Amino acid sequence: MKKIGFLILSLVFLTSSYSQITTKGHTNENKFKQMYDLLATPNEQHNASGAPGKGYTQQKVDYKIDITLDDEKQKISGEETIKYHNNSPDNLEFLWVQLDQNMRAKDSKTPDINPTKIPEKLNKNRFEKSYVDEPFDGGFNIMSVTNIDGSPLSYTINQTMMRINLVKPLASGEKFEFNIKWWYNINNHREDGGRSGYEHFPKDGNNNYVIAQFYPRLCVYDNVEGWQNDQFWGRSEFALEFGDFTVNITVPEDHMLGATGVLLNEKEVLSKTELKRLAEAKKSFDNPVIIRTQEEAINFEKSKATKTKTWKFFAENVRDYAFATSRKFIWDGMAVDINGKTVMAYSLYSKEANPLYGDHSTRAVAQTLKTYSQYTFDYPYHKAISVDGQMGMEYPQICFNPGRPNPDGTYSDRVKYTMIKVTIHEVGHNFFPMIVNSDERQWTWMDEGLNSYLEMLAELAYDKNFPMSRGLPKNIVNYMSGDQSKIAPIMSKGDNVYSFGNNAYGKPATGLWILRETIMGKELFDHAFKTYAQRWMFKHPTPEDFFRTMEDASGVDLDWFWRGWFFTTDVTDIGVKGVKKFYSSSNSDNTVNFIEDTHEGLGYTTNHSKYHYEITYEKPGGLVMPIIVEFTYKDGTKERKTYPAQIWRYTDDEVTKVFSSSKQIESIVIDPDLETADVDISNNSFPREKSDKFDKFKKEIKG
Amino acid sequence: MKIPKTFFLLLIIPLFSFSAHKYYLSLTQIKFKPETKSIQIIINVFMDDIELALNKDYNIDLQLTTKKELPNNNVYFEKYLREKLQFTIDGTPKKFNYIGKEYENDLVYFYLEIENIATVKNIQITNKILTKHFPDQQNLIKTKVGKVDKSILLNKDETSGTLEH
Repeated sequence: MKKIGFLILSLVFLTSSYSQITTKGHTNENKFKQMYDLLATPNEQHNASGAPGKGYTQQKVDYKIDITLDDEKQKISGEETIKYHNNSPDNLEFLWVQLDQNMRAKDSKTPDINPTKIPEKLNKNRFEKSYVDEPFDGGFNIMSVTNIDGSPLSYTINQTMMRINLVKPLASGEKFEFNIKWWYNINNHREDGGRSGYEHFPKDGNNNYVIAQFYPRLCVYDNVEGWQNDQFWGRSEFALEFGDFTVNITVPEDHMLGATGVLLNEKEVLSKTELKRLAEAKKSFDNPVIIRTQEEAINFEKSKATKTKTWKFFAENVRDYAFATSRKFIWDGMAVDINGKTVMAYSLYSKEANPLYGDHSTRAVAQTLKTYSQYTFDYPYHKAISVDGQMGMEYPQICFNPGRPNPDGTYSDRVKYTMIKVTIHEVGHNFFPMIVNSDERQWTWMDEGLNSYLEMLAELAYDKNFPMSRGLPKNIVNYMSGDQSKIAPIMSKGDNVYSFGNNAYGKPATGLWILRETIMGKELFDHAFKTYAQRWMFKHPTPEDFFRTMEDASGVDLDWFWRGWFFTTDVTDIGVKGVKKFYSSSNSDNTVNFIEDTHEGLGYTTNHSKYHYEITYEKPGGLVMPIIVEFTYKDGTKERKTYPAQIWRYTDDEVTKVFSSSKQIESIVIDPDLETADVDISNNSFPREKSDKFDKFKKEIKG
Repeated sequence: MKIPKTFFLLLIIPLFSFSAHKYYLSLTQIKFKPETKSIQIIINVFMDDIELALNKDYNIDLQLTTKKELPNNNVYFEKYLREKLQFTIDGTPKKFNYIGKEYENDLVYFYLEIENIATVKNIQITNKILTKHFPDQQNLIKTKVGKVDKSILLNKDETSGTLEH
């Protein structure tokens, strides 16, 4: 009976706006329209489900590299033989090679694209450093590019890219081998910044090296971009092919070194004691075992060896290579059980980073491998290393992390949690993008956003009271509600966005958090996310592959969410506009009348057996989101109701919905747990909350 | 005076090491409340950045949120904010009261109030918070007067702006 009443009510609502004569139409502006206008059409390579199609191809690039580190001059020289496998169906007239260090060359154009002004004030140190006559020359010096028989090979350098001019096109299915010889000056990353470099310790005269982008590396040639040869301007990171690396690294013989790959000659480079401790570490699943102690490291840093040692590695199926080396390094490790397979978690750190690193670094690595494996795939490599590199940067099996204790060895919770947080984040990058190998040069969010989301789960697993900051919906509000002229959609190239951290890390992570916690639920989300990770493990996914797989594997239509959250800068703002109260009375002719109680506020003038509230929700925000409503009854009990986002499909600005109960409602709150990143919560409560954050704080202080 | 290229290079270098996490943003929310005839201001900044700036500027060791936290630190926070912040309402410079601060995760919130304000047509703000030690610092200012919201983004090169209401 009552249902009929509601039906009539909603019919009136729907039909009331059809009286004018139409003169002008419009295109589909519905927030729920399909995404054909925004996504690439699926094809044989990237199919409609978001999986690799039957025509998907991927190149393979193998490297044989010999590297020598000159500790005295902070210089690296190297020789490499690159074997390029053309697995694509296309013939290639040339190959493109990345020369990332040229971003630091004297003639780098990177400084030229950044607008500058004279600042009012400048840190003195910084000021003095700027007045040097010769800028630091950190670009690659290419000594030779040759065929495998030693004859010269034609090449053209265009800033950070080098074209190898093949005499005849490399046919589909063919391989091409060639050599490059080079050297470059290593930058001091503590003073000049960078994702690689050295740190100098004036006290003992030593350097810690964390080295990456140190060799000319092949560009990606894929099914969607062809050659990915966009310049490296300094921010948008890397696109790299998988391959096998055979690398020999020559360093002073008193150095401790960690690198991507399996160490082939451990008996030549480690002492007998170290080998024994390493064997113990491989059996220790609960606590890290120290392999080179602080005392030993302090002894090494007192003098400088004149002889060298060569560390030999083989890394199978990795997309990049990095290493860290110093005579200052302490080394510890512990075993991690990943679904029955033992993986090693290691840390390399100078005494300046201890005891913080000794206490937490290797444990954080272990936790990351466990949590990420649980939500994606079993970690396929044999190890992961965290290095006291005093930055935050990721490479396959090795990453460089920040955080040091005070000189007296104490450290605050904040320093501790920051160090653990970044360590989890960088180790987590082993999964995205080192294995799920998206194109970082184009889509920063595909690795940073996904990784920042999983990082949150690993943090909570490490410590259930972990202070979470980035990623929670309420913490993205300040950014999303900011000046629209300084906000870019997530679907933008990293080089071109404002507020990079919020754009490419925070907002996408929050989007995934909202999908999991509020829109899809953990079970559906986790299955779909895992499906994406497993489909694209050791492959090159595109944004479409992610969006499609999340829908394909969950059965949840998310076009509206991707469109709003990823392709626009719209915000969430949902509130209660007004409430009308009704009670019913039965008539003798078998009908029921609804009678409005016009008394102000939510309270009824008289008691009834059933209370009917006609609530109008407003949506000043451009995003559509579920309406999460909490009703608090007069007796203090609460009830929640969530209306799916699709409630907004007919009207985008406001919608009216009836809620009935046998108890009277005292107050109504929208999104009580701040799950939807609502940018203005002043309209979220009814009756309106009178005191805001400021009033509450002032009252607390002043009493 | 010819300024070498490296001068500019150094200014932008922190961008490059921005590979993992760090970003520099503060938010100043300014709201006019006719019922109390006051302008209420809430500012949030990253705790590690403000701690570093104050430690350097005043040669102190704040140790925020630790057991060794400097007890009288409100004195320094107030001093710092008075040095870095100025408000001019409808053409008249106004002093603010420092109500206090609170911590939330990695943020510090400051609460300031300007009293005896009957109407607001425009708010001019100078905000140099953190720009001395962090060249990439951005200070976002949001104002709310009645139902109108306005915002501007300030940085080390542009430390003041006016919001018209």
